[in-house]
Amino acid sequence: MKAVVLDGIVLGLQFGLLGVGMTLVYGLGGVLNLAYGQMAVLAAMVVAVALSGGTPALVAAAAGLLAAAAAGVVIDRTLMLPVYRQRGERRVLLGLLLTLGVAFVIDGLLLWRYPDGALRLAIGGEAVPILGVRMRVGSLWATGVSLAVAALLLALRATTPGRAAHAVIQDEAGARLVGINPAAVRTFIFAASGALAGLVAVTRSMTSPVSVTAGFDFTILALIVAVVGGLGSVAGAFLAGVLLGIVSTVSAFYIGQYITTIVLLAAAALTIVVRPRGLLGR
Amino acid sequence: MLEVSGLSAGYLGENVVEGVDVKVGAGQAVAIIGSNGAGKTTLFRALCGMLPVSAGQVRFDGEDITGRPAHRIARAGLAYVPAERHLFPRMSVHENLALGAFPRRPDPSAVRLVFDLFPRLQERRRQPAGSLSGGEQQMLAVGRALVSRPRLLMLDEPTTGLAPKLATSAYEALRVLKERGVTLLVAEQQVPLALSVADRGYVLENGRIRFEGASQDLARNPEVRRAYLGVA
Repeated sequence: MKAVVLDGIVLGLQFGLLGVGMTLVYGLGGVLNLAYGQMAVLAAMVVAVALSGGTPALVAAAAGLLAAAAAGVVIDRTLMLPVYRQRGERRVLLGLLLTLGVAFVIDGLLLWRYPDGALRLAIGGEAVPILGVRMRVGSLWATGVSLAVAALLLALRATTPGRAAHAVIQDEAGARLVGINPAAVRTFIFAASGALAGLVAVTRSMTSPVSVTAGFDFTILALIVAVVGGLGSVAGAFLAGVLLGIVSTVSAFYIGQYITTIVLLAAAALTIVVRPRGLLGR
Repeated sequence: MLEVSGLSAGYLGENVVEGVDVKVGAGQAVAIIGSNGAGKTTLFRALCGMLPVSAGQVRFDGEDITGRPAHRIARAGLAYVPAERHLFPRMSVHENLALGAFPRRPDPSAVRLVFDLFPRLQERRRQPAGSLSGGEQQMLAVGRALVSRPRLLMLDEPTTGLAPKLATSAYEALRVLKERGVTLLVAEQQVPLALSVADRGYVLENGRIRFEGASQDLARNPEVRRAYLGVA
């Protein structure tokens, strides 16, 4: 049981980062990015291709993250422009439809070029004892990277771009009045969201392979985490990620892998019924 | 300082204000007075870039700023305090003030000036802005604008939602600012209050300027007295 919960925390930290990328873009621009998982897979495939070409692992990972961030910038600066001109419900709907289109295009292109593509970063097969539990080295790496990035995100809050992002989330008109350009902040966050998705794909591949068809699974997971945490809340996404990670491994261990997705969806549905604002939403 | 000529603006292709000319000199306090729906807010939103200008020109310090996005106009030194305030509700009073100086860090002396003017804000500097009373939020909105050390401070109905006593003290604060050399442009329905601080005033009716002149002349004008000062 202890090992299952520890595994859940390892998985949950990655869920949390995945949710943060989704929730930030929604908080800033009102867009639920349905192509989010495809950005993750795009990064994974860039890393896989670079690795097979003999590129050192760190350089390959950086290239993958950069590719996903660039995809974020392109989507934000082209397809999302008409979305940002709409308000309220129409903005959310148009954003959903357009990003869904992007998801199909990226999926189609990747599947066509790399039908059997998968990223697997095998880091040390042996296991080391942690808190009386034997953990695989890949899990430890994934956890270390996730924690470092989470700390980086916290530190970013106090920087100028971080303060600008929070200002736009809380009151966009107020942000413009103090001299913040919301469009620039949105582009920056869309790029950061792409990099986060790519990062999660890379850390995921340290414990299990990330295949070219994994896009929608990542998207659905990110949506669930963002909804349970409260859309727009970074701390909420982290908390929800860790909780759902534990729920996920416990349920996979005692019930079964396929049912786990349903359990997670049920958790999201229950959140909407019991606490529509999410764990830490407002 | 500010020169507005022939300005028209509105919503969905219909002009709410039309052909408005307004001048504000450096160090002056100028009032735009008019009843609800006269177009004061529309005029202000167009001046600060929150609303597109359909005709006319806005010059600020000799530079044409017509049609520039709001964040660039704000950085050029034109600070706008809207009636709805648009504070950052989950940030503390101090964080709200600090963002006034964006993208730089706030100048400590500018923050001290705000705390001198509104000691209440200093007492509450760690509280989230959303938990403040209406009067305190108004102080914070003005304070946030002041931290940017604006060359022109525009206030839209600074007495909205304030009890009469608080409204009077809000205008006392404006008088202090004027004495310190801050250039002011204020939109106001409560005409006696506005004219007590302003050097000059414009009367806006149905989106057009009806009268303009020195405050004491406007206060003596029989039509202004009948319509806005409740004198038969």
